[in-house]
Amino acid sequence: MRNERNVPTMKRLEASNHQRNVGGLCQIRHGISVIRRDKLAGYSLDMPPVLAPDALGLGLRTAHYRELLASWPAVDYFEIISENFLGEALPARYHLDQVKERYPIVLHGVGLNILGPAPPEPGYLDRIAWLAEHVNAPFFSDHLCWTGAHGYSHHDLLPAPYVPELVELVAERAALVQKHVGRPFGLENLSSYVELGQSTLSEWEFYAAVVKKAGCHFMLDVNNIYVSSQNHGFEPSQYLDAIDFPRVLQLHVAGHTREPNGTLIDTHDQPVSDAVWQLYRSAQLRAPRPTLLEWDDHIPPLATVLGELDKARRHRV
Amino acid sequence: MSWPASPAWLEELQARFGDMLRTPLERSSGSLRAKPDAYPSALLEEALPTPNLTSGERLAIYNRQYWFRLFTVLQRAYPLTARLLGYWRFNEHATHFLLARPPRHWSLDEIGAGFADFLAEAAGNGNALVDDTRPDLEPDALLEAARIDLGYHQVFRAPPVARYEPSAADAGRLLQARLRMSPAVALLTEHWPLCELRRRALEAPGEGALRLEPRLARPRHWLLGREGLKLGLVPLEPRELQLLMLLSRGTVEAALGELEEACRSAGTSQELVELPANIQKWLASSVQRGVWRGADFAP
Repeated sequence: MRNERNVPTMKRLEASNHQRNVGGLCQIRHGISVIRRDKLAGYSLDMPPVLAPDALGLGLRTAHYRELLASWPAVDYFEIISENFLGEALPARYHLDQVKERYPIVLHGVGLNILGPAPPEPGYLDRIAWLAEHVNAPFFSDHLCWTGAHGYSHHDLLPAPYVPELVELVAERAALVQKHVGRPFGLENLSSYVELGQSTLSEWEFYAAVVKKAGCHFMLDVNNIYVSSQNHGFEPSQYLDAIDFPRVLQLHVAGHTREPNGTLIDTHDQPVSDAVWQLYRSAQLRAPRPTLLEWDDHIPPLATVLGELDKARRHRV
Repeated sequence: MSWPASPAWLEELQARFGDMLRTPLERSSGSLRAKPDAYPSALLEEALPTPNLTSGERLAIYNRQYWFRLFTVLQRAYPLTARLLGYWRFNEHATHFLLARPPRHWSLDEIGAGFADFLAEAAGNGNALVDDTRPDLEPDALLEAARIDLGYHQVFRAPPVARYEPSAADAGRLLQARLRMSPAVALLTEHWPLCELRRRALEAPGEGALRLEPRLARPRHWLLGREGLKLGLVPLEPRELQLLMLLSRGTVEAALGELEEACRSAGTSQELVELPANIQKWLASSVQRGVWRGADFAP
């Protein structure tokens, strides 16, 4: 699992040996483009200058540091787990600073606890804002869930009942978070393994209502839609139909595992399933969006992960 | 920032969910199994079943994930301790620790902070840390292993620290100063060849228990430090270790006095003769190795 606000200092992404500048875009070797960092200036929270719609990114993982620093592969951008870089540990900072000189970076958090009973720990959002500024992230995201309560941190992404009362609550909180950090904020849908009887809305109705009311964005995890659809018995295309795609900052894809009792678990420990790629294709048909591959356990060599990411290209329209 | 309050009913639901997550896994069958019967009954009613799974079976997925995630975090933070015991026994200690001190911080790095002390307290309270089937593994060796793991964890996670280099002005008043130890170093002592075993455990990951080699004829002392991003051990002489520990606790003058007294008490005249030169050598090398990050001078 999967650790400070102002006008960002805009810095041109240095063209490395696999990049050339073309008309305001950094054109990557194999033809994928991302918006150049100096094009991020002056963005608004409502209409962020997101990564180019066809950008393909990877979750930055320590298992790949050595290969990454030795080869600087053709990847459009990296996503970091925010909490892993909020502390002062030298190894994390060193690697992050190396990567940020060569690639755009977006932040993905797991500790906001937006549905928890307590506000974020003092300073937590300031540190997220500082990190976003440090890497000049075009956006940041976290999960539509709770992760702890009553002083305990459960270190898991936990579901809540989907009711109108909580739409109001989470939307207000998400708007505060986005304003405090000062960058576009994406909320990610969960993989879940249980439904709660208090719910009166479907997950997608709840999710869409929160994003709309908050004025924030979707960080849409396609694998999570599929996993939850299998666990709870809904049609995943119904979920996609509820999403306002112009407000999607990014799509996530990842692998999952089927347990002997039939439950799908969001393990991020293997290739993306064919069914998820089909759903991904369906999402891309609605509107192309930057795509990020997550691989967090039993992590193979970087070349294997890059090969998996490349499949996204084949599943586009 | 005014954070809107949660409704009471949600907080109550989350309290029940948290109780469910912390319900320990059953070990008696020889594997770790969830016990849905032990979950709060109200939560079992709130969670919906499927045609294939009861509500308890669905909640058990979260219960198992909670424990296995935390076990993994502790195994990674304490790799030597975990392999000395083997994961099965280690997870039992981890369960007791996590029940006594459930995670309260968003950072996974914080979870294992008190584990070495917890094991020491458990041993102090007469709890058996090691099975009877492990005559090779003395409890003191396990506690030493936990402290070594903790040292590695802390040094690896330390922020970048500038090395203290005394100026000419500092030199004249250093006796009254108190040196501040860098968080990027740790002083380790081993009575068993634990540091070497730790290196081997990391090179050959596994879950089974590693055999501990016999106790050393004499303890070994190490300075664990960081060179770039890599951690390394530098051997220390016993008096050198003692000096560094004394320096980290009091003024330079007091430390030197205590060290001299210790040598005098030991009754080795040769050591006393060589002590001034050795102190110069040890102090110089400690500065050169980045043991200190600063000095506090008396006003």
